Amino acid sequence: MALRRLLALLFVAAVSHNAAAQTWPTKPLRLVAPYAAGGPIDISARLLAAKLQESLGQPVVVENRPGAGGNIGVELIAKGPADGYNLVMSAIATLAINPSLYPSLPYDPLKDLRHVTLLVQVPNVLIVNNELPAKNVKELIALAKQRPGKLDFGSGSSGSTGHLAGEMFKMMTGTFMVHIPYKGSAPALADMMGGRIHLMFDNLASALPSIKSEKVRALATTTLKRSSFLPELPTLEEAGLKGFDMTTWWGVSVAAKTPQAVVERLSGDILKAMDAADFKERLRNMGSEPPAVRTPEQFTTFVASELKTHTELVKRSGAKAD
Amino acid sequence: MEGIFGNLAIGFTEVFKLQAITIAGMTMTLPFNILMCLIGVLLGTLIGVLPGIGPVATIAMLLPVTFNLAPIAALIMLAGIYYGAQYGGSTTAILVNLPGESSSVVTCLDGYQMARRGRAGPALATAAIGSFFAGCVATMVVAMFAPPLAEVALKFGPAEYFSLMVLGLVAAVVLAAGSLIKAIAMVILGLLLGLVGTDVNSGVLRFAFGISEMADGIGFVTVAMGMFGICEIIANLEQKEKREVFTSKVGSLMPTRDDFKRMVAPILRGTVLGSCLGILPGGGALLASFGAYTLEKKVSKNSHEFGKGAIEGVAAPEAANNAGAQTSFIPLLTLGIPSNAVMALMIGAMMIQGIAPGPQVMTERPQLFWGMIASMWVGNLMLVILNLPLIGMWIKLLTVPYRYLYPSILLFMAIGVFSISNQPFDCFLMAMFGLLGYVCVKLGCEPAPMILGFILGPLMEENLRRAMLLSRGDPWVFISPSKPISMGFLIASVLLLVIIALPALRKKREEVFVEEPKA
Amino acid sequence: MKVKSQQDWWAGLMFIAIGLFFIVVAAGTPEFINKMVGSKLIPGYQMGSSVRMGPAYFPVVLGGILAVLGLLVLLDSIVEKGPDVAKFHFRPLIFIAISSLAFAYLLKPLGLALASIILVFISAYGGHEFKWKEVAIMSVVLVIFSIVVFVKGLSLPFPVCPSFVDVCPIR
Repeated sequence: MALRRLLALLFVAAVSHNAAAQTWPTKPLRLVAPYAAGGPIDISARLLAAKLQESLGQPVVVENRPGAGGNIGVELIAKGPADGYNLVMSAIATLAINPSLYPSLPYDPLKDLRHVTLLVQVPNVLIVNNELPAKNVKELIALAKQRPGKLDFGSGSSGSTGHLAGEMFKMMTGTFMVHIPYKGSAPALADMMGGRIHLMFDNLASALPSIKSEKVRALATTTLKRSSFLPELPTLEEAGLKGFDMTTWWGVSVAAKTPQAVVERLSGDILKAMDAADFKERLRNMGSEPPAVRTPEQFTTFVASELKTHTELVKRSGAKAD
Repeated sequence: MEGIFGNLAIGFTEVFKLQAITIAGMTMTLPFNILMCLIGVLLGTLIGVLPGIGPVATIAMLLPVTFNLAPIAALIMLAGIYYGAQYGGSTTAILVNLPGESSSVVTCLDGYQMARRGRAGPALATAAIGSFFAGCVATMVVAMFAPPLAEVALKFGPAEYFSLMVLGLVAAVVLAAGSLIKAIAMVILGLLLGLVGTDVNSGVLRFAFGISEMADGIGFVTVAMGMFGICEIIANLEQKEKREVFTSKVGSLMPTRDDFKRMVAPILRGTVLGSCLGILPGGGALLASFGAYTLEKKVSKNSHEFGKGAIEGVAAPEAANNAGAQTSFIPLLTLGIPSNAVMALMIGAMMIQGIAPGPQVMTERPQLFWGMIASMWVGNLMLVILNLPLIGMWIKLLTVPYRYLYPSILLFMAIGVFSISNQPFDCFLMAMFGLLGYVCVKLGCEPAPMILGFILGPLMEENLRRAMLLSRGDPWVFISPSKPISMGFLIASVLLLVIIALPALRKKREEVFVEEPKA
Repeated sequence: MKVKSQQDWWAGLMFIAIGLFFIVVAAGTPEFINKMVGSKLIPGYQMGSSVRMGPAYFPVVLGGILAVLGLLVLLDSIVEKGPDVAKFHFRPLIFIAISSLAFAYLLKPLGLALASIILVFISAYGGHEFKWKEVAIMSVVLVIFSIVVFVKGLSLPFPVCPSFVDVCPIR
């Protein structure tokens, strides 16, 4: 009896691709978070999974697959079945930076993956320690030019967005500062508060508490538009660095051959979740403003342009992960 | 002083507040926060007892549940899970030689030996009592000295961390009961194994041999389960006679009068050490537990018993690690900086609730801040009330024949290790470390110093190189007068090394004297 | 030259071997071997200088210290009396190791229930006594406990049923 039902289902699925998409999802989905439990991407994955379960009617299980800066988890989905039941949280690191940072990547971010929705976009902030005699970007640049190689800038790791933002800054201003990598931005922040490093580019969510409590001084944001969290803070472009636009972002992707109908259904549901007031509020509390990039096509274009920018940056900075 | 009591009053009122809660259509008036605390510590104890599953994964999984709770209730529950896991981890360390948390490694040394000799009851009781006392004291420390202590924490830069770790490593050598040289060699072996993975300072992947699963290094849980768990099971199974691992002649459940006398001073010392070291972000709390053990071993009159079931060897580290767990909240509550992965999750939970962690929490949301501190005390009380009666149950469990126990332990270990990254490779590594541990034990080398080297190694190297980077290559930065803390630790390390080496040298000289007349 | 302490002899050798292993992997094979083989057998990492340490520096130094300590232990084994190496019992070793490996690699294909049963049976077989009925009951109890606590309680993403069963009654 069960076997016959199974065969009937298989027959129907095989015969009609669209029919499968209409009845999708019929079993639990797997959302791979390619990081250890607890980071911001993992947290937003769990938030999203809770919301998607309601709208899709099937459980969405978050699976942590940490390793190699996120590459392991992304590879798993890129090479896995393209049936719409396997999703991955893809991020700027795994899509735009790692391809040039690592000597060889087991997947192609544009060819092996289909990008569904951009979930979070967080600006980075240029912060300096309180003892540094620079009250704005102009003074900082002057200081850096006066003391080449004497200023230390911290980052969460080699090849992180904080590191690359710093490299971009150095490139555009023609200054030379020494990069000090840490394991995550929290220890870097701690060293900055202690006065041991001079500046860093940190994402807004992690730096905001320290900025608000005046333990560090914020000089500018790295996005083209000012952040609504710190409206008095000028952008780097306003301070003279034309076109400086770097954010930390992440979203949801699936394997490249996933049926179009499934991708569209997924995209619709995720966008609906993002527009829900409570979800929007939670994401906002992580420092994210609702991204302008909405559809899968826009997301793919976005990924392609980020990939291009960061490939260039990584090459120039000489950063590499073996 | 009145300020403190006023604040604590705010905190306790918040914790005991009665709220109208609607569950399944029925509205009841409950002290909801207390309930959340209870759920948290129960859950924490459970996952602490289960080998391989830790508070980080559990808290991450429970985060969505906390969204619908009020911030204070959510944070109380999550905090309860954290220090509940410390208590649970000590239980497995004593009963089955499996360290639930990295800071429970030291408890295995004497706690498990006590259990094998039928003294599991007193061991568990000592752990509970020591942890409770330390928790209370540390909570007071957090309440009264949080902001100034946070400032002290900020003074620790890479140079100071490095020197502290050198001191810690020297202390790790003391842990070994046997040959000094082999203990040092095991520490170095641990240091080397800890270097596997991506190098922070250069991004280079080291010793991974193309296996991408090793890119982030070998996990502590994997090594601990392998070297302590698997190794122990194999060692127990190879006994020729079908001897039961735990003597069936179980002694009393409670510590004796003599036990109580012996545990007072170690608990006090452990509490002080734990409270001080816990505030350091990154590694402070676990340095505390084995620093406390080393201190006891050197200071105690019964130091010959250490490694065979000395009650001081359980009391001091347990007090230290619980004190450290409480004070590790300080950087979070005052600066908004997480001192370990669990705190990072708490920050995530706070941010999602719309609370920006940092010093302003104390002034802008006093109920939250002081409520959390009050809940820590309540949680510790609940844990000691919970754990003491449970000792009877744990003792009963130990009387189960070993042939039923060990497959269960093995299954839970395998599940726990597998769940780290949901792939088989970690279990493979665990089996390999089990083998390595077995070989080491046969060759008379102890695993405990190795594990400590394993934890400290990467931290030491990272801080050494970072300090050199910041000083632009000046090696004297570690003992420069502008860094008194660093210099102090290094001098202490040298002194400790001398203290350790002296008896060994003296023994060698005595042996030479004894040999001479015979020649 | 008689070895007075078997334990120390082998321990010393082990340390020397491990120390040299780390040195070679970190610093790369020495030049003369590379010339003989024709290519860089093991590339190694950069050493850097003592003021700007590269990724190879710490491992090489530590490996060196370990090897030296191993040598000291080796010498000690010739000079001082010590215990012999106790007999290796391969049966529990192999069975315990295999049972955990089997569990890990069979979890995804066969599901938690079957993999757990396999682990329990293999590890029980490595023990002193093995009674089929006992072990069977124990494995069923453990499977039920694991499903309730780990899959339902902690929502670990473990498949309970084998992968060839399409729809699992327990999720």
